[in-house]
Amino acid sequence: MVAHSHQSRRDVLKLTALGAAGTLLGAAATQAAPKNLTMMHESSFVPPYDAFFKNNLAAAYEKATGIKVNYEVVSVGSLQTRVTTAAENGSGPDMTAIGFNWAFLFDDKFVDVSDIAVEIGKEGGGWYESAQESVVVGGKWKAIPFGNIGQLMNWRTDWFKQAGYDKFPDTWDELLEAGIKLKKAGHPFGFELGHGFGDNHGWLYPLLWSYGAREVEADGKTIVIDSDETARAVDFCRKFFKETMFEDVLGWTDVNNNKAFLSEQISCTNNAESILWSAKRDFPDMAKVIDQSENPKGPKGRFHMLNPLCHAVFTHTQDKQAAKDFLRWLMAPKQLGPWYDVAVTYYQPFLHAYDDAPMWKVEPRNLPYRDALKTAHLPGWPAPLSRAQSETIAKFVVIDMFAKACAGKSTKEVIADAQGQLKQIYKAA
Amino acid sequence: MTAVLAASAVRRRPAVSLGRWLEREGVFSWLMVALPVAFLVALVGYPFFYGIWISLQDRPVAKPGVFVGLDNFINDWHDPVFWQVVVNTFVYTSTATLLKMVGGLGLALVMNQDFRFKNLTRALLLLPFIVPTVLSTIAWQWILDPAFSVINWALMQTGLANPGPSWLGNPYLAMFSLIMVNTWRGLPFYAITLLAGLQTISPELYEAATIDGAGRWGRFRYVTLPLLKPIIFIVTMFSVIFTFSDFQLIYVLTRGGPANATHVFATYAFDVAMGAGQFGQGASIALSMVPPLALIILAMAIYMRPAKS
Repeated sequence: MVAHSHQSRRDVLKLTALGAAGTLLGAAATQAAPKNLTMMHESSFVPPYDAFFKNNLAAAYEKATGIKVNYEVVSVGSLQTRVTTAAENGSGPDMTAIGFNWAFLFDDKFVDVSDIAVEIGKEGGGWYESAQESVVVGGKWKAIPFGNIGQLMNWRTDWFKQAGYDKFPDTWDELLEAGIKLKKAGHPFGFELGHGFGDNHGWLYPLLWSYGAREVEADGKTIVIDSDETARAVDFCRKFFKETMFEDVLGWTDVNNNKAFLSEQISCTNNAESILWSAKRDFPDMAKVIDQSENPKGPKGRFHMLNPLCHAVFTHTQDKQAAKDFLRWLMAPKQLGPWYDVAVTYYQPFLHAYDDAPMWKVEPRNLPYRDALKTAHLPGWPAPLSRAQSETIAKFVVIDMFAKACAGKSTKEVIADAQGQLKQIYKAA
Repeated sequence: MTAVLAASAVRRRPAVSLGRWLEREGVFSWLMVALPVAFLVALVGYPFFYGIWISLQDRPVAKPGVFVGLDNFINDWHDPVFWQVVVNTFVYTSTATLLKMVGGLGLALVMNQDFRFKNLTRALLLLPFIVPTVLSTIAWQWILDPAFSVINWALMQTGLANPGPSWLGNPYLAMFSLIMVNTWRGLPFYAITLLAGLQTISPELYEAATIDGAGRWGRFRYVTLPLLKPIIFIVTMFSVIFTFSDFQLIYVLTRGGPANATHVFATYAFDVAMGAGQFGQGASIALSMVPPLALIILAMAIYMRPAKS
């Protein structure tokens, strides 16, 4: 606005003329091959990963095809807003990284990439089943899965050893037992129960599922949160919170558990690989006594949260084929392998060809992230992708059900609250 | 001949009358106002009415909307979280505004005295207001994090509490903490504006009041307060509007948690519109702010209207 007030009328006229000329040129350019493409990404937790795209991949592609690929990085947490803006205005980057169920939300604005997805799958030893869960909409692939940012148990081996545990407890009940001992020894657990995105969903949905409970049936209509299984999961969560943690976790967002773990306040949390990464960089001694394990088992099995990073092509892209060609090139082993490597398994590949890739040998403690892919699902599972699913997440229905129980409400009350909310949300779906 | 004359007269008349017409005060003043009005219509009016239009639709992100009338508002009405948001917003706004008003007035009265380093102190006073909210809020994040909190450290050192309170984990304390941070940030605005108002009050009035036998309290009650009333009104109105629609502070510190205990209109509307991609529903939540806000401002305008003498 300030800039506008300084413009004279002549400037405005000049700009208008330029704009008109630009439009004409743009129209002419649709016929010719594009000179450049833009890919949008959220700033990575692993800086070399972003740098590798800009310096190596983009440069190599320009050399091979003459097409310049710009890499537009947006700040952490703002990607959805940017994707929304681009989709609504029909302008902006040609390709974008997406997560969760956005392939469904922005369905109409993303190009069908089924043909290259199938090719890439064949070339890469087949896709993990969970890869398709977030990108296949109405039988069509609306994005190419890139990698999962898994959420697993991060724990201190030295303190667990002092409490008598050489390996990570296999079930939730055993973990509770360990937690009671560790809290008494001055090393409580710290699992996020607040309004973050990753570290709360990362353990609460798996906990719910592992007790055999779910929000909605696979038909996407029948609400089944009000069950004995849910009640047992809630009761467990309350006990787990009271006897192994402290009140503050109820207000945590995604940054808090990393801070608490790295400052030696807690002995166990649920997180992505970022804690071990930071520890190796900043606290090498602590890094030696950190390990990562799959989520514990419940009465009905072991589960993990799917947190996929995928690439989609916007329909407003001038030359859709050029964007698809680029993605196809990007996902070929020659490009993909080294890109995964710089992030050392921070992004876990959805292609089986990478199951035994050398990057898994760099840090064997990351291996559970690979194994967790087999039991990983999106929040809302087993219901198919839907608008209601997004709303349930945005309204923190399941998270708050657990959090309210931990803060003192009765199991019956919190389930009734969640049931009421889910009924209202799914009615419109 | 007459025809030619008549024709030229007809031709000349509009030019003359247009110039004269433009010079008329009524017309000219409207012309001057037209530009700002057009500006407001484009940048405030259009988004506002577009918001109303969207709130009447079932409008998912990236898809065309379907007109549904008041369905979104009816949904809000049946949404327990919406009512929690209403209560939170009122508690947040009223408490923070009251604290800012009383604290700001007190601060302004103190600043109006003569003391050493007066100007420096006045400048420093503005600091919380100058620092970008997102930055200062991150500082508060550390202050309110029990593991690193200076407050908890002090409490533990003095043996008053161990472990210290959970500032953002306890629902009541979380609301309390947010109100405190909002007050901290908004106080300078109140204080500086009221200080400016205080300086316009003529000392003769105080002298006259003293001669009439008014004490310290009497001078404040019968001279300062009535003369400051219009300024208090303006500042409070601004403060209510900004506090009511606060977003950054809450989004950085708690994102509405724990369990919605600090969700307010702006944060909830954002989560529903952007997070869930439900533009219609989100717009209806955001628009629900307007009627109560308008009522509060109207009530304040009536209550604080300068008395006609």
